[in-house]
Amino acid sequence: MGRVVRHLFVTGCVVLWLVPLYLLVVNALTPAAEYEGRPDWTFQGFDFVDNARTAWTEAGIGDSFQASLLYSVVCGLLAVLVAAMAAFAVVVLPVPRPAFWFWLIYSGTLFPLQIFLAPLFGLYADANLYDTRLGLMLVYVAWAIPFAFFLIRNQMTTMPPELTEAALIDGASFGRIFWQIHVPLMRAGLGAAFIFQFTAVWNDLLLGITLSRSADVQPVMAALTTLNNAYSSAGPPVILAGALIVSAPTLLLFLVFRGLFLRGITASAR
Amino acid sequence: MTDTTTPAPAAATAAKAHRARRRIPTRTPHQAVRPGARRGGPLAALPWALPASAFVGVLLVYPFFRSVYGSFFEDNGFTSSYTGIDNYTRLADDPIFGRSLLNTLMWVAGTLLLPVLLGLLIAVATHRSRFGGVAQLVIVLPFAISAAATAVLWNFMLTSDGAVNQFLRGVGLDSWAQTWLLEWPQNTLALIVASTWQATGINVVLFAIGLRANPRDTVEAAQLDGASGWRMFRYITLPQLRAVTVVVVGMAVVNSLKAFDMIWILTKGGPSRSSETLALTMYREAFRLFHVGYGSAIALVLSVIVVASSWAYLRRQMPDTGWAKA
Repeated sequence: MGRVVRHLFVTGCVVLWLVPLYLLVVNALTPAAEYEGRPDWTFQGFDFVDNARTAWTEAGIGDSFQASLLYSVVCGLLAVLVAAMAAFAVVVLPVPRPAFWFWLIYSGTLFPLQIFLAPLFGLYADANLYDTRLGLMLVYVAWAIPFAFFLIRNQMTTMPPELTEAALIDGASFGRIFWQIHVPLMRAGLGAAFIFQFTAVWNDLLLGITLSRSADVQPVMAALTTLNNAYSSAGPPVILAGALIVSAPTLLLFLVFRGLFLRGITASAR
Repeated sequence: MTDTTTPAPAAATAAKAHRARRRIPTRTPHQAVRPGARRGGPLAALPWALPASAFVGVLLVYPFFRSVYGSFFEDNGFTSSYTGIDNYTRLADDPIFGRSLLNTLMWVAGTLLLPVLLGLLIAVATHRSRFGGVAQLVIVLPFAISAAATAVLWNFMLTSDGAVNQFLRGVGLDSWAQTWLLEWPQNTLALIVASTWQATGINVVLFAIGLRANPRDTVEAAQLDGASGWRMFRYITLPQLRAVTVVVVGMAVVNSLKAFDMIWILTKGGPSRSSETLALTMYREAFRLFHVGYGSAIALVLSVIVVASSWAYLRRQMPDTGWAKA
Protein backbone atom coordinates (compact mmCIF):
# COMPACT_ATOMS: atom_id res chain seq x y z
CA MET A 1 0.00 0.00 0.00
CA GLY A 2 2.69 2.46 1.05
CA ARG A 3 4.78 1.40 -1.88
CA VAL A 4 1.94 1.99 -4.37
CA VAL A 5 1.33 5.50 -3.03
CA ARG A 6 5.04 6.19 -3.20
CA HIS A 7 5.34 5.08 -6.81
CA LEU A 8 2.21 6.97 -7.83
CA PHE A 9 3.55 10.14 -6.20
CA VAL A 10 6.94 9.89 -7.87
CA THR A 11 5.43 9.05 -11.26
CA GLY A 12 3.01 11.96 -10.96
CA CYS A 13 5.83 14.37 -10.17
CA VAL A 14 7.98 13.10 -13.03
CA VAL A 15 5.06 13.53 -15.47
CA LEU A 16 4.33 17.03 -14.16
CA TRP A 17 7.99 17.94 -14.61
CA LEU A 18 8.23 16.46 -18.08
CA VAL A 19 5.10 18.08 -19.57
CA PRO A 20 6.54 21.63 -19.75
CA LEU A 21 9.78 20.28 -21.22
CA TYR A 22 7.82 18.25 -23.77
CA LEU A 23 5.71 21.28 -24.75
CA LEU A 24 8.89 23.36 -25.04
CA VAL A 25 10.41 20.92 -27.52
CA VAL A 26 7.21 20.26 -29.50
CA ASN A 27 6.36 23.93 -29.94
CA ALA A 28 9.92 24.97 -30.69
CA LEU A 29 9.75 22.49 -33.58
CA THR A 30 6.45 23.76 -34.96
CA PRO A 31 6.97 25.76 -38.16
CA ALA A 32 6.47 29.40 -37.15
CA ALA A 33 4.08 30.09 -40.04
CA GLU A 34 1.83 27.18 -39.12
CA TYR A 35 1.43 28.09 -35.47
CA GLU A 36 -2.28 28.70 -34.89
CA GLY A 37 -2.23 30.78 -31.75
CA ARG A 38 -2.56 27.91 -29.30
CA PRO A 39 -0.02 25.43 -27.99
CA ASP A 40 0.45 22.22 -29.95
CA TRP A 41 0.46 18.98 -27.97
CA THR A 42 1.75 16.81 -30.82
CA PHE A 43 4.64 17.29 -33.22
CA GLN A 44 3.58 19.50 -36.13
CA GLY A 45 6.87 19.50 -37.97
CA PHE A 46 10.60 19.61 -37.41
CA ASP A 47 11.45 23.19 -38.21
CA PHE A 48 13.73 23.81 -35.27
CA VAL A 49 16.55 24.99 -37.51
CA ASP A 50 14.39 27.66 -39.16
CA ASN A 51 12.98 28.86 -35.84
CA ALA A 52 16.43 28.90 -34.31
CA ARG A 53 17.81 30.85 -37.25
CA THR A 54 15.05 33.46 -36.93
CA ALA A 55 15.78 33.83 -33.22
CA TRP A 56 19.54 33.86 -33.80
CA THR A 57 19.72 36.51 -36.51
CA GLU A 58 16.51 38.55 -36.53
CA ALA A 59 15.94 38.65 -32.79
CA GLY A 60 19.63 39.24 -32.07
CA ILE A 61 20.14 36.21 -29.83
CA GLY A 62 23.25 35.42 -31.87
CA ASP A 63 25.16 38.60 -31.00
CA SER A 64 24.28 38.28 -27.35
CA PHE A 65 25.15 34.59 -27.36
CA GLN A 66 28.69 35.40 -28.42
CA ALA A 67 28.95 38.25 -25.93
CA SER A 68 27.68 36.04 -23.11
CA LEU A 69 30.05 33.24 -24.05
CA LEU A 70 32.90 35.73 -23.74
CA TYR A 71 31.61 37.02 -20.39
CA SER A 72 31.01 33.59 -18.90
CA VAL A 73 34.27 31.98 -19.97
CA VAL A 74 36.60 34.91 -19.30
CA CYS A 75 34.92 36.14 -16.12
CA GLY A 76 34.49 32.59 -14.81
CA LEU A 77 38.17 31.80 -15.31
CA LEU A 78 39.40 35.14 -13.98
CA ALA A 79 37.13 34.99 -10.94
CA VAL A 80 38.27 31.46 -10.08
CA LEU A 81 41.93 32.42 -10.44
CA VAL A 82 41.61 35.57 -8.34
CA ALA A 83 39.45 33.77 -5.76
CA ALA A 84 41.93 30.89 -5.54
CA MET A 85 44.77 33.34 -4.94
CA ALA A 86 42.79 35.02 -2.19
CA ALA A 87 41.90 31.67 -0.64
CA PHE A 88 45.59 30.75 -0.77
CA ALA A 89 46.45 33.97 1.07
CA VAL A 90 43.78 33.47 3.73
CA VAL A 91 44.29 29.75 4.34
CA VAL A 92 47.95 29.06 3.63
CA LEU A 93 50.00 32.25 3.72
CA PRO A 94 50.72 34.44 6.73
CA VAL A 95 48.37 37.21 5.66
CA PRO A 96 47.72 39.38 8.72
CA ARG A 97 44.11 39.16 10.03
CA PRO A 98 42.78 36.38 7.78
CA ALA A 99 39.29 36.91 9.21
CA PHE A 100 39.20 40.48 7.94
CA TRP A 101 40.09 39.42 4.39
CA PHE A 102 37.65 36.56 4.53
CA TRP A 103 34.76 38.81 5.44
CA LEU A 104 35.76 41.56 3.04
CA ILE A 105 35.65 39.17 0.10
CA TYR A 106 32.83 36.93 1.28
CA SER A 107 30.49 39.82 2.13
CA GLY A 108 29.89 40.33 -1.59
CA THR A 109 27.65 37.29 -1.71
CA LEU A 110 25.50 37.99 1.33
CA PHE A 111 23.35 40.77 -0.09
CA PRO A 112 20.81 40.90 -2.92
CA LEU A 113 22.13 42.51 -6.10
CA GLN A 114 19.65 45.37 -5.67
CA ILE A 115 21.76 46.99 -2.97
CA PHE A 116 24.65 47.44 -5.44
CA LEU A 117 22.73 48.49 -8.54
CA ALA A 118 22.09 52.21 -8.18
CA PRO A 119 25.67 53.20 -7.19
CA LEU A 120 27.08 50.82 -9.81
CA PHE A 121 24.98 52.55 -12.44
CA GLY A 122 26.28 55.95 -11.31
CA LEU A 123 29.85 54.68 -11.17
CA TYR A 124 29.57 53.22 -14.67
CA ALA A 125 28.01 56.37 -16.10
CA ASP A 126 30.88 58.46 -14.69
CA ALA A 127 33.62 56.09 -15.83
CA ASN A 128 32.16 55.63 -19.33
CA LEU A 129 31.74 51.93 -18.62
CA TYR A 130 27.98 51.90 -19.09
CA ASP A 131 26.96 49.75 -22.05
CA THR A 132 30.47 48.43 -22.70
CA ARG A 133 31.62 44.83 -22.72
CA LEU A 134 34.54 45.72 -20.47
CA GLY A 135 32.18 47.21 -17.90
CA LEU A 136 30.00 44.12 -17.78
CA MET A 137 33.03 41.87 -17.54
CA LEU A 138 34.44 43.81 -14.60
CA VAL A 139 31.22 43.57 -12.63
CA TYR A 140 30.75 39.89 -13.49
CA VAL A 141 34.23 39.09 -12.19
CA ALA A 142 33.57 41.01 -8.99
CA TRP A 143 30.18 39.33 -8.58
CA ALA A 144 31.59 35.85 -9.19
CA ILE A 145 34.55 36.13 -6.81
CA PRO A 146 32.91 35.90 -3.37
CA PHE A 147 31.20 32.54 -3.76
CA ALA A 148 34.08 31.03 -5.74
CA PHE A 149 36.36 32.19 -2.93
CA PHE A 150 34.09 30.55 -0.37
CA LEU A 151 34.05 27.21 -2.22
CA ILE A 152 37.79 27.15 -2.87
CA ARG A 153 38.64 28.27 0.62
CA ASN A 154 36.52 25.47 2.12
CA GLN A 155 38.35 22.95 0.05
CA MET A 156 41.76 24.42 0.74
CA THR A 157 41.26 24.06 4.49
CA THR A 158 40.99 20.29 3.99
CA MET A 159 44.48 20.08 2.49
CA PRO A 160 47.22 19.00 4.90
CA PRO A 161 49.44 21.98 5.82
CA GLU A 162 52.41 19.60 5.89
CA LEU A 163 52.42 19.76 2.09
CA THR A 164 53.12 23.48 2.15
CA GLU A 165 55.59 23.13 4.99
CA ALA A 166 57.54 20.48 3.10
CA ALA A 167 57.61 22.63 -0.03
CA LEU A 168 58.80 25.63 1.97
CA ILE A 169 61.64 23.60 3.46
CA ASP A 170 62.58 22.59 -0.05
CA GLY A 171 62.84 26.29 -0.83
CA ALA A 172 59.83 26.71 -3.13
CA SER A 173 58.46 30.23 -3.57
CA PHE A 174 54.82 31.10 -2.82
CA GLY A 175 54.09 31.21 -6.54
CA ARG A 176 55.53 27.80 -7.06
CA ILE A 177 53.65 26.34 -4.09
CA PHE A 178 50.42 27.76 -5.45
CA TRP A 179 50.82 26.67 -9.07
CA GLN A 180 52.56 23.34 -8.54
CA ILE A 181 50.91 22.05 -5.38
CA HIS A 182 47.59 23.69 -4.67
CA VAL A 183 46.23 24.22 -8.18
CA PRO A 184 46.89 20.66 -9.39
CA LEU A 185 45.57 19.12 -6.19
CA MET A 186 42.40 21.20 -6.32
CA ARG A 187 41.58 20.66 -9.97
CA ALA A 188 38.12 19.24 -9.27
CA GLY A 189 37.26 21.99 -6.80
CA LEU A 190 38.43 24.70 -9.16
CA GLY A 191 36.48 23.08 -11.98
CA ALA A 192 33.34 23.02 -9.86
CA ALA A 193 33.81 26.68 -8.96
CA PHE A 194 34.32 27.57 -12.62
CA ILE A 195 31.21 25.69 -13.75
CA PHE A 196 29.21 27.35 -10.99
CA GLN A 197 30.35 30.84 -11.92
CA PHE A 198 30.09 30.20 -15.66
CA THR A 199 26.46 29.26 -15.10
CA ALA A 200 25.83 32.22 -12.81
CA VAL A 201 27.23 34.72 -15.33
CA TRP A 202 25.50 33.01 -18.25
CA ASN A 203 22.14 33.12 -16.46
CA ASP A 204 22.42 36.70 -15.24
CA LEU A 205 19.66 39.07 -16.28
CA LEU A 206 19.58 41.85 -13.69
CA LEU A 207 23.11 43.21 -14.12
CA GLY A 208 22.75 42.90 -17.88
CA ILE A 209 19.59 44.98 -18.17
CA THR A 210 20.85 47.53 -15.65
CA LEU A 211 24.31 48.18 -17.06
CA SER A 212 23.87 47.71 -20.80
CA ARG A 213 21.46 48.57 -23.56
CA SER A 214 22.82 47.87 -27.04
CA ALA A 215 22.38 44.51 -28.74
CA ASP A 216 26.04 43.57 -29.06
CA VAL A 217 26.79 44.28 -25.38
CA GLN A 218 23.68 42.84 -23.74
CA PRO A 219 24.01 39.36 -22.30
CA VAL A 220 21.94 36.57 -23.72
CA MET A 221 19.22 36.49 -21.05
CA ALA A 222 18.50 40.16 -21.71
CA ALA A 223 18.16 39.40 -25.43
CA LEU A 224 15.77 36.56 -24.62
CA THR A 225 13.69 38.96 -22.50
CA THR A 226 13.50 41.41 -25.40
CA LEU A 227 12.44 38.60 -27.72
CA ASN A 228 9.79 37.45 -25.24
CA ASN A 229 8.36 40.97 -25.08
CA ALA A 230 7.49 40.57 -28.76
CA TYR A 231 5.38 37.51 -27.86
CA SER A 232 2.55 38.09 -30.32
CA SER A 233 4.62 39.27 -33.28
CA ALA A 234 7.54 36.83 -33.07
CA GLY A 235 5.34 33.86 -32.18
CA PRO A 236 5.94 31.15 -29.58
CA PRO A 237 7.87 28.73 -31.84
CA VAL A 238 10.64 31.29 -32.39
CA ILE A 239 10.63 32.40 -28.76
CA LEU A 240 10.80 28.83 -27.45
CA ALA A 241 13.54 28.01 -29.93
CA GLY A 242 15.38 31.03 -28.52
CA ALA A 243 14.86 29.71 -24.98
CA LEU A 244 16.30 26.36 -26.05
CA ILE A 245 19.34 28.01 -27.64
CA VAL A 246 20.18 30.06 -24.56
CA SER A 247 19.72 27.00 -22.33
CA ALA A 248 21.97 24.79 -24.43
CA PRO A 249 25.36 25.65 -22.87
CA THR A 250 24.29 25.18 -19.25
CA LEU A 251 22.24 22.08 -20.08
CA LEU A 252 25.24 20.62 -21.85
CA LEU A 253 27.52 21.38 -18.89
CA PHE A 254 24.96 19.83 -16.57
CA LEU A 255 24.58 16.64 -18.56
CA VAL A 256 28.33 16.17 -19.08
CA PHE A 257 29.62 17.28 -15.67
CA ARG A 258 26.66 16.58 -13.42
CA GLY A 259 28.78 15.92 -10.35
CA LEU A 260 30.83 19.09 -10.70
CA PHE A 261 27.77 21.13 -11.70
CA LEU A 262 25.93 20.29 -8.50
CA ARG A 263 29.01 20.32 -6.32
CA GLY A 264 29.09 24.10 -6.09
CA ILE A 265 25.67 24.29 -4.54
CA THR A 266 25.77 21.04 -2.58
CA ALA A 267 29.13 21.85 -0.99
CA SER A 268 27.22 23.84 1.60
CA ALA A 269 25.18 20.83 2.71
CA ARG A 270 27.96 18.37 3.38
CA MET B 1 41.98 30.76 16.34
CA THR B 2 43.76 29.89 13.18
CA ASP B 3 47.17 29.92 14.78
CA THR B 4 48.61 26.49 15.43
CA THR B 5 50.16 27.64 18.70
CA THR B 6 46.81 28.40 20.35
CA PRO B 7 46.98 27.58 24.08
CA ALA B 8 45.15 24.46 25.18
CA PRO B 9 42.04 25.94 26.94
CA ALA B 10 41.19 28.07 23.92
CA ALA B 11 41.67 25.08 21.67
CA ALA B 12 39.29 23.08 23.85
CA THR B 13 36.63 25.79 23.62
CA ALA B 14 37.10 25.92 19.88
CA ALA B 15 36.76 22.17 19.66
CA LYS B 16 33.55 22.30 21.68
CA ALA B 17 32.11 25.00 19.43
CA HIS B 18 33.20 22.89 16.54
CA ARG B 19 31.30 19.87 17.72
CA ALA B 20 28.23 21.86 18.63
CA ARG B 21 27.89 23.50 15.26
CA ARG B 22 29.07 20.74 12.93
CA ARG B 23 31.12 22.86 10.60
CA ILE B 24 31.88 21.73 7.12
CA PRO B 25 35.67 21.82 6.89
CA THR B 26 36.98 18.69 8.50
CA ARG B 27 40.08 20.54 9.64
CA THR B 28 40.15 23.93 11.25
CA PRO B 29 41.69 26.53 8.94
CA HIS B 30 45.37 26.34 9.42
CA GLN B 31 47.92 28.70 8.08
CA ALA B 32 50.82 26.53 7.13
CA VAL B 33 53.12 29.49 6.83
CA ARG B 34 53.25 31.05 10.25
CA PRO B 35 53.52 34.81 10.68
CA GLY B 36 57.15 35.62 11.19
CA ALA B 37 58.24 32.82 8.94
CA ARG B 38 61.50 33.26 7.17
CA ARG B 39 60.10 34.31 3.81
CA GLY B 40 59.22 37.94 3.18
CA GLY B 41 57.32 38.85 6.37
CA PRO B 42 53.58 39.37 6.64
CA LEU B 43 53.36 41.81 3.74
CA ALA B 44 54.56 39.25 1.21
CA ALA B 45 51.15 37.57 1.38
CA LEU B 46 49.13 40.69 0.68
CA PRO B 47 49.49 40.70 -3.13
CA TRP B 48 47.70 37.35 -3.15
CA ALA B 49 44.61 38.76 -1.46
CA LEU B 50 44.64 42.15 -3.16
CA PRO B 51 43.12 41.45 -6.60
CA ALA B 52 40.03 39.79 -5.12
CA SER B 53 39.71 42.48 -2.48
CA ALA B 54 40.05 45.22 -5.07
CA PHE B 55 37.33 43.79 -7.32
CA VAL B 56 34.96 43.17 -4.44
CA GLY B 57 35.84 46.38 -2.64
CA VAL B 58 35.35 48.73 -5.60
CA LEU B 59 32.43 47.03 -7.32
CA LEU B 60 30.47 45.55 -4.40
CA VAL B 61 31.48 46.88 -0.99
CA TYR B 62 31.75 50.54 -2.00
CA PRO B 63 28.38 50.46 -3.86
CA PHE B 64 26.84 48.85 -0.79
CA PHE B 65 27.82 51.71 1.50
CA ARG B 66 27.04 54.27 -1.19
CA SER B 67 23.56 52.75 -1.42
CA VAL B 68 23.01 52.99 2.32
CA TYR B 69 24.20 56.62 2.24
CA GLY B 70 22.07 57.38 -0.82
CA SER B 71 18.93 56.10 0.88
CA PHE B 72 18.93 59.28 3.00
CA PHE B 73 18.63 61.50 -0.07
CA GLU B 74 15.82 62.46 -2.38
CA ASP B 75 17.52 61.70 -5.66
CA ASN B 76 16.03 61.64 -9.17
CA GLY B 77 19.27 60.86 -10.94
CA PHE B 78 20.13 64.51 -11.62
CA THR B 79 19.60 66.45 -8.43
CA SER B 80 19.66 65.13 -4.92
CA SER B 81 18.93 66.65 -1.55
CA TYR B 82 19.33 65.32 1.96
CA THR B 83 16.01 64.29 3.50
CA GLY B 84 17.02 62.23 6.50
CA ILE B 85 14.86 59.19 7.08
CA ASP B 86 12.04 60.49 4.89
CA ASN B 87 12.43 57.64 2.41
CA TYR B 88 11.91 55.15 5.21
CA THR B 89 8.88 56.87 6.71
CA ARG B 90 7.36 57.05 3.22
CA LEU B 91 7.64 53.27 2.95
CA ALA B 92 5.15 52.84 5.77
CA ASP B 93 2.41 54.76 3.93
CA ASP B 94 3.12 53.46 0.45
CA PRO B 95 0.37 50.98 -0.57
CA ILE B 96 2.60 49.66 -3.37
CA PHE B 97 5.34 48.86 -0.85
CA GLY B 98 2.72 47.17 1.34
CA ARG B 99 1.53 45.00 -1.52
CA SER B 100 5.12 44.28 -2.47
CA LEU B 101 5.93 43.20 1.09
CA LEU B 102 2.85 40.96 1.11
CA ASN B 103 3.89 39.37 -2.18
CA THR B 104 7.39 38.84 -0.82
CA LEU B 105 5.91 37.06 2.20
CA MET B 106 3.78 34.94 -0.14
CA TRP B 107 6.93 34.01 -2.03
CA VAL B 108 8.69 32.96 1.17
CA ALA B 109 5.71 30.96 2.44
CA GLY B 110 5.08 29.45 -1.00
CA THR B 111 8.72 28.46 -1.32
CA LEU B 112 8.66 26.67 2.03
CA LEU B 113 5.39 24.98 1.14
CA LEU B 114 6.19 23.92 -2.42
CA PRO B 115 9.84 23.53 -3.43
CA VAL B 116 11.10 22.66 0.06
CA LEU B 117 8.32 20.33 1.19
CA LEU B 118 7.95 18.77 -2.24
CA GLY B 119 11.73 18.39 -2.44
CA LEU B 120 11.76 16.56 0.89
CA LEU B 121 8.90 14.25 -0.13
CA ILE B 122 10.41 13.44 -3.51
CA ALA B 123 13.83 12.80 -1.97
CA VAL B 124 12.35 10.42 0.61
CA ALA B 125 10.13 8.70 -1.96
CA THR B 126 12.97 8.14 -4.41
CA HIS B 127 15.55 7.16 -1.78
CA ARG B 128 16.95 3.69 -2.52
CA SER B 129 14.23 2.93 -5.07
CA ARG B 130 14.87 1.36 -8.42
CA PHE B 131 14.19 4.29 -10.74
CA GLY B 132 14.80 6.91 -8.09
CA GLY B 133 17.95 8.16 -9.78
CA VAL B 134 16.15 8.72 -13.08
CA ALA B 135 13.25 10.48 -11.35
CA GLN B 136 15.68 12.75 -9.52
CA LEU B 137 17.50 13.54 -12.77
CA VAL B 138 14.23 14.59 -14.46
CA ILE B 139 13.25 16.80 -11.56
CA VAL B 140 16.64 18.46 -11.24
CA LEU B 141 16.92 19.05 -15.00
CA PRO B 142 15.14 22.46 -14.95
CA PHE B 143 17.81 23.62 -12.49
CA ALA B 144 20.25 23.60 -15.40
CA ILE B 145 17.99 26.02 -17.28
CA SER B 146 18.17 29.70 -16.41
CA ALA B 147 15.36 31.43 -14.58
CA ALA B 148 14.88 33.61 -17.66
CA ALA B 149 14.39 30.65 -20.01
CA THR B 150 12.10 29.00 -17.45
CA ALA B 151 10.06 32.18 -17.32
CA VAL B 152 9.78 32.28 -21.12
CA LEU B 153 8.55 28.69 -21.13
CA TRP B 154 6.04 29.31 -18.35
CA ASN B 155 4.81 32.45 -20.06
CA PHE B 156 3.86 30.15 -22.91
CA MET B 157 2.13 27.84 -20.39
CA LEU B 158 0.31 30.53 -18.42
CA THR B 159 -0.87 33.14 -20.93
CA SER B 160 -4.62 33.32 -21.30
CA ASP B 161 -4.62 31.02 -24.33
CA GLY B 162 -1.65 29.05 -23.06
CA ALA B 163 -1.15 25.37 -22.41
CA VAL B 164 -2.50 25.33 -18.84
CA ASN B 165 -5.86 26.83 -19.78
CA GLN B 166 -6.00 24.66 -22.88
CA PHE B 167 -5.50 21.59 -20.73
CA LEU B 168 -8.11 22.66 -18.18
CA ARG B 169 -10.67 23.27 -20.92
CA GLY B 170 -9.73 19.99 -22.56
CA VAL B 171 -10.55 17.97 -19.44
CA GLY B 172 -13.79 19.85 -18.84
CA LEU B 173 -12.67 22.18 -16.05
CA ASP B 174 -13.62 25.30 -17.99
CA SER B 175 -14.39 27.25 -14.84
CA TRP B 176 -10.83 26.67 -13.57
CA ALA B 177 -9.29 28.25 -16.63
CA GLN B 178 -8.48 31.87 -15.92
CA THR B 179 -6.22 34.79 -16.74
CA TRP B 180 -3.43 33.52 -14.53
CA LEU B 181 -1.06 36.42 -14.93
CA LEU B 182 -3.50 39.31 -15.01
CA GLU B 183 -5.09 39.31 -11.56
CA TRP B 184 -3.81 39.34 -8.03
CA PRO B 185 -3.33 37.05 -6.13
CA GLN B 186 -3.29 34.28 -8.72
CA ASN B 187 -0.47 35.93 -10.64
CA THR B 188 1.84 35.68 -7.64
CA LEU B 189 0.67 32.11 -6.98
CA ALA B 190 1.23 31.14 -10.62
CA LEU B 191 4.72 32.63 -10.46
CA ILE B 192 5.49 30.60 -7.36
CA VAL B 193 4.33 27.43 -9.11
CA ALA B 194 6.52 28.25 -12.11
CA SER B 195 9.51 28.77 -9.87
CA THR B 196 8.68 25.53 -8.03
CA TRP B 197 9.17 23.67 -11.30
CA GLN B 198 12.68 25.06 -11.48
CA ALA B 199 13.75 25.14 -7.85
CA THR B 200 12.52 21.83 -6.45
CA GLY B 201 15.23 19.73 -8.08
CA ILE B 202 18.12 21.19 -6.16
CA ASN B 203 16.28 20.64 -2.88
CA VAL B 204 15.74 17.00 -3.86
CA VAL B 205 19.47 16.66 -4.48
CA LEU B 206 20.36 18.27 -1.15
CA PHE B 207 17.88 16.17 0.82
CA ALA B 208 19.09 13.06 -1.01
CA ILE B 209 22.64 13.82 0.13
CA GLY B 210 21.35 14.15 3.68
CA LEU B 211 19.49 10.86 3.40
CA ARG B 212 22.51 9.02 2.06
CA ALA B 213 24.61 10.36 4.93
CA ASN B 214 22.24 8.87 7.49
CA PRO B 215 23.66 5.73 9.03
CA ARG B 216 21.71 2.63 8.08
CA ASP B 217 22.06 1.25 11.61
CA THR B 218 19.43 3.56 13.09
CA VAL B 219 17.00 2.65 10.33
CA GLU B 220 17.61 -1.06 10.88
CA ALA B 221 17.32 -0.69 14.64
CA ALA B 222 14.01 1.12 14.20
CA GLN B 223 12.83 -1.59 11.85
CA LEU B 224 13.64 -4.22 14.46
CA ASP B 225 11.59 -2.23 16.93
CA GLY B 226 8.69 -2.37 14.49
CA ALA B 227 8.73 1.18 13.14
CA SER B 228 7.66 1.74 9.58
CA GLY B 229 5.94 4.24 7.29
CA TRP B 230 5.00 7.50 8.96
CA ARG B 231 6.58 6.69 12.33
CA MET B 232 9.87 5.83 10.67
CA PHE B 233 9.75 9.06 8.70
CA ARG B 234 8.72 11.23 11.65
CA TYR B 235 10.98 9.85 14.35
CA ILE B 236 14.00 8.49 12.45
CA THR B 237 14.40 10.10 9.04
CA LEU B 238 13.29 13.64 9.78
CA PRO B 239 15.44 14.24 12.89
CA GLN B 240 18.50 13.05 11.02
CA LEU B 241 17.80 15.52 8.23
CA ARG B 242 17.87 18.52 10.55
CA ALA B 243 21.26 19.82 9.49
CA VAL B 244 20.53 19.62 5.79
CA THR B 245 17.10 21.15 6.34
CA VAL B 246 18.69 24.27 7.82
CA VAL B 247 20.73 24.67 4.64
CA VAL B 248 17.84 23.94 2.27
CA VAL B 249 15.43 26.27 4.05
CA GLY B 250 18.05 29.00 4.28
CA MET B 251 18.97 28.84 0.62
CA ALA B 252 15.37 28.50 -0.55
CA VAL B 253 14.19 31.49 1.48
CA VAL B 254 17.07 33.66 0.32
CA ASN B 255 16.48 32.65 -3.29
CA SER B 256 12.79 33.45 -3.02
CA LEU B 257 13.63 36.87 -1.60
CA LYS B 258 16.08 37.51 -4.42
CA ALA B 259 13.77 36.20 -7.19
CA PHE B 260 13.76 38.72 -9.99
CA ASP B 261 14.15 37.19 -13.45
CA MET B 262 11.05 35.02 -13.30
CA ILE B 263 8.74 37.84 -12.17
CA TRP B 264 10.30 40.43 -14.46
CA ILE B 265 9.80 38.32 -17.57
CA LEU B 266 6.38 36.88 -16.74
CA THR B 267 4.57 39.97 -15.48
CA LYS B 268 7.08 42.84 -15.19
CA GLY B 269 5.64 43.10 -11.67
CA GLY B 270 2.26 44.05 -13.09
CA PRO B 271 -0.45 44.47 -13.97
CA SER B 272 -0.39 47.82 -12.19
CA ARG B 273 2.42 46.60 -9.94
CA SER B 274 0.27 43.93 -8.30
CA SER B 275 2.81 41.09 -8.52
CA GLU B 276 5.90 43.05 -7.50
CA THR B 277 8.12 41.76 -4.74
CA LEU B 278 10.68 43.94 -2.98
CA ALA B 279 13.33 42.98 -5.54
CA LEU B 280 11.09 44.25 -8.36
CA THR B 281 9.85 47.33 -6.53
CA MET B 282 13.42 48.45 -5.93
CA TYR B 283 14.31 48.03 -9.60
CA ARG B 284 11.20 49.87 -10.80
CA GLU B 285 11.58 52.76 -8.37
CA ALA B 286 15.29 53.26 -9.06
CA PHE B 287 15.55 52.54 -12.78
CA ARG B 288 12.09 53.15 -14.25
CA LEU B 289 10.73 55.94 -12.05
CA PHE B 290 14.14 57.43 -11.14
CA HIS B 291 13.39 57.53 -7.42
CA VAL B 292 16.97 56.50 -6.73
CA GLY B 293 17.02 57.34 -3.03
CA TYR B 294 13.68 55.65 -2.42
CA GLY B 295 14.86 52.61 -4.36
CA SER B 296 18.00 52.45 -2.24
CA ALA B 297 15.87 52.50 0.92
CA ILE B 298 13.89 49.53 -0.40
CA ALA B 299 17.13 47.76 -1.31
CA LEU B 300 18.36 48.21 2.24
CA VAL B 301 15.11 46.86 3.70
CA LEU B 302 15.40 43.87 1.38
CA SER B 303 19.03 43.33 2.35
CA VAL B 304 18.20 43.40 6.05
CA ILE B 305 15.45 40.81 5.48
CA VAL B 306 17.78 38.63 3.40
CA VAL B 307 20.61 38.68 5.93
CA ALA B 308 18.25 38.20 8.89
CA SER B 309 16.53 35.22 7.30
CA SER B 310 19.77 33.56 6.27
CA TRP B 311 21.35 34.03 9.70
CA ALA B 312 20.81 30.49 10.98
CA TYR B 313 22.07 29.05 7.73
CA LEU B 314 25.03 31.40 7.53
CA ARG B 315 26.15 30.64 11.06
CA ARG B 316 26.39 27.02 10.16
CA GLN B 317 28.41 27.90 7.06
CA MET B 318 30.83 30.25 8.72
CA PRO B 319 34.39 29.19 9.28
CA ASP B 320 36.10 29.66 12.64
CA THR B 321 37.23 33.14 11.84
CA GLY B 322 36.74 34.49 15.31
CA TRP B 323 34.29 37.10 14.06
CA ALA B 324 31.56 34.59 13.46
CA LYS B 325 31.15 33.66 17.10
CA ALA B 326 28.31 36.10 17.72
